[in-house]
Amino acid sequence: MNQPLLRPSLLNQRFLWGSVMVVAVALSIYQAGLFQRDWLNWGGLAQLRQFFQASIQPDLSPEFLHLTFDAAVITLAYAVCGTCLSLLLGLVGGVLTSEVWWQSVFPRQAQQRPIWLTVRAVLAIPRAIHELIWGLFFLNIFGLDPLVAIVAIAIPYGAIVSKVFSEILDETPRQPLMALLNSGVAPLSACSYSLFPQAFLDLLSYSFYRFECSIRSAAVLGIIGAGGLGYQILLSLQSLRYEQLWTLFYALFVLNGTVDFTSAVLRHRLGSPSRLDLNLRRANRSDNRGLDKLRDGHPPPLDGYLTHSGNAAYLILTRGQQRQSGDPWVMLAGVGALLLIPFCFWYVSADFSKLWSPRTVQLLADITQSSLPPNFDREQISQMLALSWQTLTMSVLAIAIAGIGGILLSFPAAHNFFLPGGLLNPVQSSPSGRLLAWGMLLLTRAFLLITRAVPAPIWALVALFVLFPGILPGAIALGLHNLGILGRLMAEVTENLDQRSLIALKAQGTPASLVFLYGVLPTTMTRFLAYILYRWEVCMRETIIVGLVGAGGLGRLLTEQLSSFDYSSVIVTLSGFIVLTFVVDWVSSRMRRSLR
Amino acid sequence: MTSFPVFELRQVSQQFDRFLSLDDVNLQIYPGERVALVGSSGAGKSTLLRLLNGTLLPTQGEVWVLGQNLSRLSSRKLRCVQRQIGTIYQQFHLVDSLRVIHNVNAGHLGRWSFWRAALSLVYPLDVKTAAAALHRVGIPEKLYARTDQLSGGQQQRVAIARVLVQDPLAILADEPVSSLDPTLSKEVMDLLRTLVQESGKTLVTSLHSVELAQNYCDRIVGLRDGKILFDSPPASVSAEMIDALYHLKD
Repeated sequence: MNQPLLRPSLLNQRFLWGSVMVVAVALSIYQAGLFQRDWLNWGGLAQLRQFFQASIQPDLSPEFLHLTFDAAVITLAYAVCGTCLSLLLGLVGGVLTSEVWWQSVFPRQAQQRPIWLTVRAVLAIPRAIHELIWGLFFLNIFGLDPLVAIVAIAIPYGAIVSKVFSEILDETPRQPLMALLNSGVAPLSACSYSLFPQAFLDLLSYSFYRFECSIRSAAVLGIIGAGGLGYQILLSLQSLRYEQLWTLFYALFVLNGTVDFTSAVLRHRLGSPSRLDLNLRRANRSDNRGLDKLRDGHPPPLDGYLTHSGNAAYLILTRGQQRQSGDPWVMLAGVGALLLIPFCFWYVSADFSKLWSPRTVQLLADITQSSLPPNFDREQISQMLALSWQTLTMSVLAIAIAGIGGILLSFPAAHNFFLPGGLLNPVQSSPSGRLLAWGMLLLTRAFLLITRAVPAPIWALVALFVLFPGILPGAIALGLHNLGILGRLMAEVTENLDQRSLIALKAQGTPASLVFLYGVLPTTMTRFLAYILYRWEVCMRETIIVGLVGAGGLGRLLTEQLSSFDYSSVIVTLSGFIVLTFVVDWVSSRMRRSLR
Repeated sequence: MTSFPVFELRQVSQQFDRFLSLDDVNLQIYPGERVALVGSSGAGKSTLLRLLNGTLLPTQGEVWVLGQNLSRLSSRKLRCVQRQIGTIYQQFHLVDSLRVIHNVNAGHLGRWSFWRAALSLVYPLDVKTAAAALHRVGIPEKLYARTDQLSGGQQQRVAIARVLVQDPLAILADEPVSSLDPTLSKEVMDLLRTLVQESGKTLVTSLHSVELAQNYCDRIVGLRDGKILFDSPPASVSAEMIDALYHLKD
């Protein structure tokens, strides 16, 4: 050790991306005009108070409760039908876009690459367009039919599911598949005996998550007139009947809460606790494999297991046993799903024949015709550039709000953090401290549930009580909604944290604040940032839905053009939006890669 | 020995749900001793180590460390005692996503103020101490590497460097070499022995291999089903005693 090692420069890629983020947020705040002009409308405060006051006296009359129940079932049914169809589409699409499938069909490199790259590129377009735009589009074709909501969920979700399924399939170990293929088994049969069963849990776990999202989308689609809770909420809000509004809100919270809770319990029971392991999946897998190898060589003693992760190790053991013996809860959920799906299809009674009816074909042909040639006039292009900039800043502001809020709230919302025996708490604690910790946990969880259950356009309308129209109310609405989603995802990251390093820090007498700084934060932060960046892509797409209620950006222009059947302009705006989405996706994926 | 014990267990029992991990154990460990805990899986070795470093409080009996009854201490006082005990684990227990320097500096965390610790995460402090510790364990070049890019043997060295920086009176090691191959195991054990011998620290380590225990320790405690079966110097541990240790009840 003659000469000391050089300190690595602080000016690395992470630092660069970090400054890009700070600059982007600052620019967005400037664009929103936060410190330049009046943005707060004091006159709306009374209305806002009325709105919140109504929360303690919801309309509980029998007729209205009946209406609420009916609306809730419709929303649930849309979500169930939409998810089912999207999973079917996604399963086919996922196989067709996976590298591993084409490798087994065409073992020669030269043939397969162009095929799956093309399929992937084609699927990127339906994915880039938000459910709501699909909804408005199909509204013009099918009229007011439940089919609109179902198809509007099925198409973009199908494309998203395809992408994620293909990634899951590609990351599943391939040796068993190759062994079958090499002995001459046909690709589909070989996959059914190796790849599919191997990836099944991951696929199922992701399907649950899609269903959670689907409930939220179904509520949003109600707003454009498809019926259900979203529709009733909009009606009550527009007629200023806040008592009714809150009844509907509570129904929405119960629906969302039940679905999220059931999904979490099932995933836990099935032994796949994390719902989507964005981009860190690969790294983790190889880590686990490494550990397994170590274990094979030198099996650790049972009490060794107990040492490093106390109850977590117990969980793993019991979980394994439950799966072997057939967990009654999982069975129950399976039976429930078998009953629920036909019921939902029967309940919405969508006219699926419309999908291939001559009228639909005719209308599609008409739309195609009227959208060509695209309307590229100079004025529109310059307007579009300005609106694109607005949209971009709105998405950045929204994700800044959601990200910061989500991180702050995720810790009190994680059940292993402040609670006794948690990451930070000492072994013993007083009854009052325990009560406080539990109270905080329930309060933050309720807050997260409320923010994510209420659709973003409704938040935007509420924000418009006290804010002047512009990108700020849109950003706040999107921020609030995504905060609820991110906070929960992040709380789950903390709950599934590898506790070994924390135990080591605690054992050497480190105070809780430093255990957090050196143990919790470094491990969770990369994941948090990955989630935030991923959610930024979603936020970008969702700017459309707050544009619907007048929050500005490309969304507003697009919805105007769609409702006036101006398809030659729609196609231009939509293309612009898709390009913007791709740019955001690219930046996000570059940033996520630099996080690894 | 005239001095009073570093660690003392008085009639300690530890119950996990229905499983009795330790059953009425009495044990005294004096300064400078190198004690090996041997026994089959589930015999209670790891539980005993967790009791000694205060991450687990006994369901019955008393654990005394450095003259303090751990069950009676406030969490602040408990942390003060824990600062004098360094622990090394089978699976290293490092923070994977941090650079090696921060994992080594984590040894300071019992003493550092919050702001000093926070600053060090951005601009590493006390680099000299960390570099010296890494030099001591033989991987000086890894100072700024990311921890998850190191091999198992290197990670265990980082964990030892962390304990060096912590500079405790006693070192506990829970199967420190079970994740390593035989050559590496020998190197790591040599290192551990040299480190404790130089500074007169106390070492308590659980080991899977009786051979390692005999080579590196001056006292062997055999555990079976939560009870101490024998407690003697390596020379007087006979083959029959070992057989009895690993012979499970039918």
